[in-house]
Amino acid sequence: MGSPPSFYRITGYWLKPLLILAMLLMVYGLVDGLFFAPPDYQQGDSYRIMFVHVPAAWMSMFIYGIIGVSGIIAFVWRMKVAEAVMMASAPIGALFTALTLLTGMLWGKPMWGTYWDWDARMTSELILLFLYIGVMGIYSAYDDDPRKAARLAALVAIIGLVNLPIIRYSVVWWTSIHQGASISLMGGNSGIKEWSMLRPLLVMALATKFYYLYSMLHRARSYLLRTEQNKSWVIKQVIED
Amino acid sequence: MRFWILLQRDVLVAWRKKSNIYQPLVFQLLIVTMFPLGLGAGAQTLQKIAPAVVWILALISTLITLENIFKDDYEDGSLALYVLSGMSLPLAVLGKAAAHWLTTGLPVILFAPVIAVLLHLPSTAYGVLMLSLLIATPIFSLLGTVGSALIMNIKNGGMLLSVLIMPLLAPVLIFGAGAVLETTLGNNPSGHLSLLAGCFVLSLSLAPLAAAAAIKVNLE
Amino acid sequence: MQSTILHISRAQCQKGGEPLFAPIDLTLKPGQMAVVAGNNGSGKTTLLEAVACLGVFSYGGINFAPYDNQEKWLLHSHYIGHSLGNKANLSCLENLKFAAAINGIKVRERQLSETLDSVGLRGYEYQFASDLSAGQKKRLALGRLLLLNKQFWLLDEPFVNLDTTGCDWLFTCISDHINNGGAALLTAHDNKRIHEKADHLIQLERP
Repeated sequence: MGSPPSFYRITGYWLKPLLILAMLLMVYGLVDGLFFAPPDYQQGDSYRIMFVHVPAAWMSMFIYGIIGVSGIIAFVWRMKVAEAVMMASAPIGALFTALTLLTGMLWGKPMWGTYWDWDARMTSELILLFLYIGVMGIYSAYDDDPRKAARLAALVAIIGLVNLPIIRYSVVWWTSIHQGASISLMGGNSGIKEWSMLRPLLVMALATKFYYLYSMLHRARSYLLRTEQNKSWVIKQVIED
Repeated sequence: MRFWILLQRDVLVAWRKKSNIYQPLVFQLLIVTMFPLGLGAGAQTLQKIAPAVVWILALISTLITLENIFKDDYEDGSLALYVLSGMSLPLAVLGKAAAHWLTTGLPVILFAPVIAVLLHLPSTAYGVLMLSLLIATPIFSLLGTVGSALIMNIKNGGMLLSVLIMPLLAPVLIFGAGAVLETTLGNNPSGHLSLLAGCFVLSLSLAPLAAAAAIKVNLE
Repeated sequence: MQSTILHISRAQCQKGGEPLFAPIDLTLKPGQMAVVAGNNGSGKTTLLEAVACLGVFSYGGINFAPYDNQEKWLLHSHYIGHSLGNKANLSCLENLKFAAAINGIKVRERQLSETLDSVGLRGYEYQFASDLSAGQKKRLALGRLLLLNKQFWLLDEPFVNLDTTGCDWLFTCISDHINNGGAALLTAHDNKRIHEKADHLIQLERP
């Protein structure tokens, strides 16, 4: 798995099952969440955006963790596959972060009467988006030398990973001083403890994980093809395909 | 010691090109003029935003100077002189950061009361304002070396540099501006200030390593 | 001077993931000179930077017998590249003084002005480097070689921008250095005389 050719070959078999699994789970989760889960006794139907919002928020943080860890591997051991995983994850993570912000805003309007509120979660999610943009920005600034670009991006990712807890802590602290406790997106003591609401949420969380795996592997494979375009294994692979 | 030699040279170079020293201050003055123009000149309105504005101005005016910390040296080749001199690279980074602080951070601290007067900051907060900037401006310089080292050989990297270090500066802004705000509200700012000092210690120990790593990668 | 030997074996540099030139071998002993030749874009500068530790070899190795670490090699070599390393708003004296100090070499004022004398910059002591012509800037940078007195000179196109007397001067300067047990690795794309004098001529070719 560590070398680009075997990574490319092995993950080739995984793509289709991952995509099918992600799609099935997503359809089930959405149908279950949007039609069958009971309405919330406080928020009515508007809470149903949670089934997209919460998994996306989980993914946005989970993927940054992956980027940070693969950044460390890429930087210390100069592993090409880790570089590929890191750079393939970045745009997906950024999209999940943007999706989190967007659905959060849409949910905020009916709930708090405003699209945007500088509460701890939204603020740190926004800063997380900047971190993603930084990783992708430094990579694209050095697009003539992908190896150097990936190493610098790895460094940026590591710096971000080290800072993430500090940012998170400071933002939570900031909101606790300025505005009282942050508003819980879970709706406090609402019916989230009910299995029929939890089930679609968990299914959607699984679906986004599989979707991420599928999309990341797909991107990582083309990243490897692009950066190794003159290696013999790529030429052989292209002829085989 | 080579640290001092590099520091001396950088301060001399900056001193010879004084625009680098006074431009951030002029910039602050320009921006601070816009606040009453856009917001209304009421002393109460200005007073309310003063802690944040003084702080954000100090931050932004420093931010626009960061790009050149390593870029100038990279372009004229004198980076190679000290990278290849065999001196420890993190130490060189510290020297660069110290010189940047002396030529940018220190003037910003000394100029902050002027901005504060223009914004009607309550006089009780001046001491804390200066103290918070005294702790925070070295953080700007230290994180600036990291950003500058990352973008030293790309054209127009200023915007990218801002994106790269803004998330890192967010806690500094929260603690720093927070300390001043707490003082104007009559509260004790020591909690904010000690967290700010924590940020300083952390960046002092990690930023030189990160910047040195970035320089190494950039030269590969 | 100790006898340091520079070994480069089967070395290649890359740019954007592609090798720049076919693998090269070189053993450079004290008292020898090697000239790297090749067309524009053949990787001469990249090769020299890699030798100077400003870059890396993508394949193959370099070692600096008897030293196994880079720091020792840095103590015995000096690199002058396309960007000369002069600070524009420091005077010639200050530039030289900084170069000596940062390399940990103690020099007296007299040595500095002697160096400026021998590179033909007498009377420019207090001029800013930005006021010099292109050739004079080159001379100022080359002055560092005389001042620092390192064994290995790594020079990227040292003859460019120099006038005829400057070229003659540099030529004798390099010859003297080599006769005194120094070594030089330089790139020069069209200087016949230096190509003939070279102990090793490395022609960079497409991989």
